[in-house]
Amino acid sequence: MKTYLLAGVAAAALTAGTAQGAGHLPFAPGDGDFNWDSFTAFADANDFSGEEITVTGPWTGADAELVNSVMAYFSEATGATVNYSGSDSFEQDIMISAQAGSAPNVAVFPQPGLASDMAGRGFLSPLGDETAAWVRDNYAAGQSWVDLGTYANADGADELFGFFYKVDVKSLVWYIPEAFDEAGYDIPETMEELKALTDQIVEDGGTPWCIGLGSGAATGWPATDWVEDMMLRTQEPAVYDQWVANELPFNDPAVVAAIEEFGYFALNDAYVDGGAQAVANTDFRESPTGLFDIPPKCYMHRQASFIPTFFPEGTEVGEDVDFFYFPAYAEKDLGKPVLGAGTLFAITNDSPAARGLMEFIKTPIAHEVWMAQSGFLTPHTGVNTDMYANDTLKALGDVLLGATTFRFDASDLMPGEIGAGAFWTGMVDYTTGADAAEVAAGIQERWDAIQ
Amino acid sequence: MSPLIQGVLTIIIGVGGCIGYFFASNLILDKVIFPPKGANPGRNINRANMVRPWLFLLPAILALGLYLVYPVIGSFWRSLFNRAGDEFIGLGNYITMFGDDQFRISLFNNFLWVLVVPAAATFFGLLVAQLTDRMKWGNIAKSLIFMPMAISFVGASLIWKFVYANNPDIGMINAVRDFLGMGPVDVLQIPFWNNFFLMVILIWIQTGFAMVILSAALRGIPEETVEAAIIDGANPFQIFFKIKVPQIMGTIVVVWTTITILVLKVFDIVYTMTGGNFGTEILPSYMMSYMFRDDGRATAVAFVIMLIVLPVMIWNIAQARKEMR
Amino acid sequence: MDNIAGTKTSLSWVMNITVVVLVLLWLIPTIGLLVSSFRDRDQISASGWWLSPFPVEQNFSTRASGDNAVQQGDLFVIEGNVYDDEEMAETFGGETPPIAAFGGTRAAPTAFQPGDVAELSRDRTLSVLEDGSYTFTSPAEFSRDPRIYFASETPPEFSLDNYDTVLTSDNMDVAFINTLTVTIPATVIPILIAAFAAYALAWMDFPGRGLLIAAVVGLLVVPLQLALVPLLNLHNQVGIGQSFVGIWLAHTGFGLPLAIYLLRNYMVGLPRDIIESAKVDGATDFQVFVKIVLPLSFPALASFAIFQFLWTWNDLLVAKVFLPSDDASKVMTVKIADDLLGSRGGDWGILATAAFVSIAVPLVVFFTMQRYLVRGLLAGSVK
Repeated sequence: MKTYLLAGVAAAALTAGTAQGAGHLPFAPGDGDFNWDSFTAFADANDFSGEEITVTGPWTGADAELVNSVMAYFSEATGATVNYSGSDSFEQDIMISAQAGSAPNVAVFPQPGLASDMAGRGFLSPLGDETAAWVRDNYAAGQSWVDLGTYANADGADELFGFFYKVDVKSLVWYIPEAFDEAGYDIPETMEELKALTDQIVEDGGTPWCIGLGSGAATGWPATDWVEDMMLRTQEPAVYDQWVANELPFNDPAVVAAIEEFGYFALNDAYVDGGAQAVANTDFRESPTGLFDIPPKCYMHRQASFIPTFFPEGTEVGEDVDFFYFPAYAEKDLGKPVLGAGTLFAITNDSPAARGLMEFIKTPIAHEVWMAQSGFLTPHTGVNTDMYANDTLKALGDVLLGATTFRFDASDLMPGEIGAGAFWTGMVDYTTGADAAEVAAGIQERWDAIQ
Repeated sequence: MSPLIQGVLTIIIGVGGCIGYFFASNLILDKVIFPPKGANPGRNINRANMVRPWLFLLPAILALGLYLVYPVIGSFWRSLFNRAGDEFIGLGNYITMFGDDQFRISLFNNFLWVLVVPAAATFFGLLVAQLTDRMKWGNIAKSLIFMPMAISFVGASLIWKFVYANNPDIGMINAVRDFLGMGPVDVLQIPFWNNFFLMVILIWIQTGFAMVILSAALRGIPEETVEAAIIDGANPFQIFFKIKVPQIMGTIVVVWTTITILVLKVFDIVYTMTGGNFGTEILPSYMMSYMFRDDGRATAVAFVIMLIVLPVMIWNIAQARKEMR
Repeated sequence: MDNIAGTKTSLSWVMNITVVVLVLLWLIPTIGLLVSSFRDRDQISASGWWLSPFPVEQNFSTRASGDNAVQQGDLFVIEGNVYDDEEMAETFGGETPPIAAFGGTRAAPTAFQPGDVAELSRDRTLSVLEDGSYTFTSPAEFSRDPRIYFASETPPEFSLDNYDTVLTSDNMDVAFINTLTVTIPATVIPILIAAFAAYALAWMDFPGRGLLIAAVVGLLVVPLQLALVPLLNLHNQVGIGQSFVGIWLAHTGFGLPLAIYLLRNYMVGLPRDIIESAKVDGATDFQVFVKIVLPLSFPALASFAIFQFLWTWNDLLVAKVFLPSDDASKVMTVKIADDLLGSRGGDWGILATAAFVSIAVPLVVFFTMQRYLVRGLLAGSVK
């Protein structure tokens, strides 16, 4: 212990002298219950003084500050300068810069589909078997994260390209505890109860749901999350996997049924704020504000763990608003499936320092620093979960851990034309009156066209 | 501060370089290569005059060739390959595209846009230009109408969200409907007509463009012609339609052409307002949804767009021939 | 004579009124944006911008502090004033407008008139007076702070917070200078090149002229997106990479077709006799161009300058592709789109403000150029 401490002090003294342009460290090394050992060990083993690496990703604004605070520790430890830039149109930017040969060292992909696409074109550098083994051993459900990050390279051989860092949970329903309390509603434990509650609210003269699919060019994506959640609640996980791989055609009755399950909520004028017509074009960012209106425009809003960013200013999650797990059918006995998504790091322009950064995000400290500040969930089993910034995040982490089935957002895994195209527009067509079977057939047709 | 100095320097170098090029090259042509003296002054002048147009055109041709022609040819070649870009499929992209419902909708909508937007924007532009021509507060009115031109497309989409939004607390149209006791309606979801609501946005933006160009043209009409007409007892309408409009017909056509071409390029409005849903897709936004995913298809769309503009091109060649005579 | 004067004034009335109507039609949407730029996100989604200058009756909720509960006989009683709450004090700016109605549940926030005693669930009672003071009673201890709902008029509220956010965000000054560094050369260089080319296409006779004109028209329609990747490749190969020089060249290339097209069409319309008599006097094409055509074309040059300036000023796509993405070389549009809007995509107040901030400079340019538009024409007509 003593030697550790001494080594740590020595390393800190050394790096303090060499670190250049390191950003602000929100937690002084050595303070608190962070895993500082992992930090000092990493600092001892790596030195990239004077090197510079560029990172681009989808995080901007407050999130960019957070990722920069993590990068500051990397700079502190190795002396390398990290230049992170975030972009709202990351998907387009990374494609252009990769094709033009001006890619950053490391790219943070918001969804595996795009990374897989780029790996196939030879724009990504493989991370190696060692990293794959590490993920398998150190991430909860490690193999599934390895699988999600493994794509065919330019020659068609499978290799690990993506390293997952930061996970979102999607199977959540947001509500206002006081509104539920006053009306005497209980948190539904099963899908049957949720449907009963929905009817109960209508009977009491309220509107149960706020659903908004509007998102500019990406209009329709929130509905894909609904359908995926419904898929997991009506079918075995294996069927879900077949659907993602298109081994089960999109117009299979199972998928159509899942779409119609979504329609059960979204297409009923009495169930959604503004009526079914409002669903397709209400902005998803604006949609949850209906919860906070007095009298409430709706009582429940199904959305991923990132949505509190769009709650009215000053809203305290946990007190003013809370979430419950989007429940599963009791009768179907499919356990507690959880839908999630995540961002992955990949090397787009290889350099020793870029490799070093990939090593760094394996350390618990790289996860704890973000966890302790704001919305960040991780499957890393080596982190101290006491470091989660608040109880809500901890509860979110529990949803993740309590899941009997965890599945990644299907639309993120499907080819871009489907998962970020036909599926979105198909859902918009469905909510504006098209038949579910027809919509599903149309999406399958599009999928056939690209194979 | 360095970019500022850099900027000032480049302005000087760039602009100075351009001027220097034109001046020096003409000087060399006239004084050194083909001086209008010596053995054959006449032939030298003729030769110099044959070369000179190319001196004038060289920088433009270089820039156009490099920045537009080269990518266009590359893209055309690309449009003959499959989505991965490794298999030559000839016109395969074009054939599958014409079989796509979405493409046919886009094509139809695009024709609507091409018919309505340039006509409406030019009409309003001309109207404002004429009405404000001799008006005391004309410049203020023009500036206000011009303002939308200066707003980015993203800003413009936001502005119109405040008009079209389904929520009567945000959208003006529905606030009025609410006030009159009618239920809210999402105007962007009304089949067919929603296209026109989107066109309104581009008309609103482009009227400023038409107005600026047309009012410059109106002021260019010689005073004497108008005065002569007044003395002849022509009423203001006659002056406008019989004297002014024919005089600026060339400019009207230019404005019309320019806006038509713009309509064929602008995807932002549809992209941000509806994402191409509810049957509002147009070709440029259709192209964007394939861009960087299936470049073969995307470039094929681009060439269909260029095909649409072919009549305008032919007409312009004919016009240029007429002027030559 | 009187009659003619009469129709003239009535006609000018009609004209004035038409222009007023048109200007209003054009202006109303923009006013909405302007008003919204002074409001925050919550206000924007709570009420229409057209209602913002008026006091609006809105529903609010606050918590009665359970810590202040006093046991009086069988009952636990909380007394206080809704306006004492910190959050409420901030919302109302310290004012205490009369309470219009109150309620004890979120679903029925205005069920009772001030002074009434509301019977709530679990045998609780609530009474709120017009001045905001309330009495909450319960037979059991308050497990958590109970909510009080009330309706009251909020004064209209505008703030400069959005402008503060946009204008003082880190590196905005750098972004502003960068934008100017991009736009000025990207406006001046294409105009210069295009003016010469336009003159050649309008007044010089050479084989292939018609074809060149057609090519220019054809190139007008080339979608920018098509050219981005090959050109960035080219820039990287040549060694320009992502830099200001690269973006100037790109804007020049993309702006040229329209510049040539507009200028050529203007120059063709210049009086033939002036140019021909100058040539007869022995002037070379270069002299004719510099001394006669250029001054006469000033209005066209000015109007194209306005448009090219606007496009480069508002451009996002070209800047993102051809400029490096570090803070030192971000332009304003990129800065706003990526840094300010990104994670606050739904923040319409910021968006509205950003749109207004970026509109300011182009409008100044327009006003300056408008003077030149007229002057250039006057100079022309004097000849």
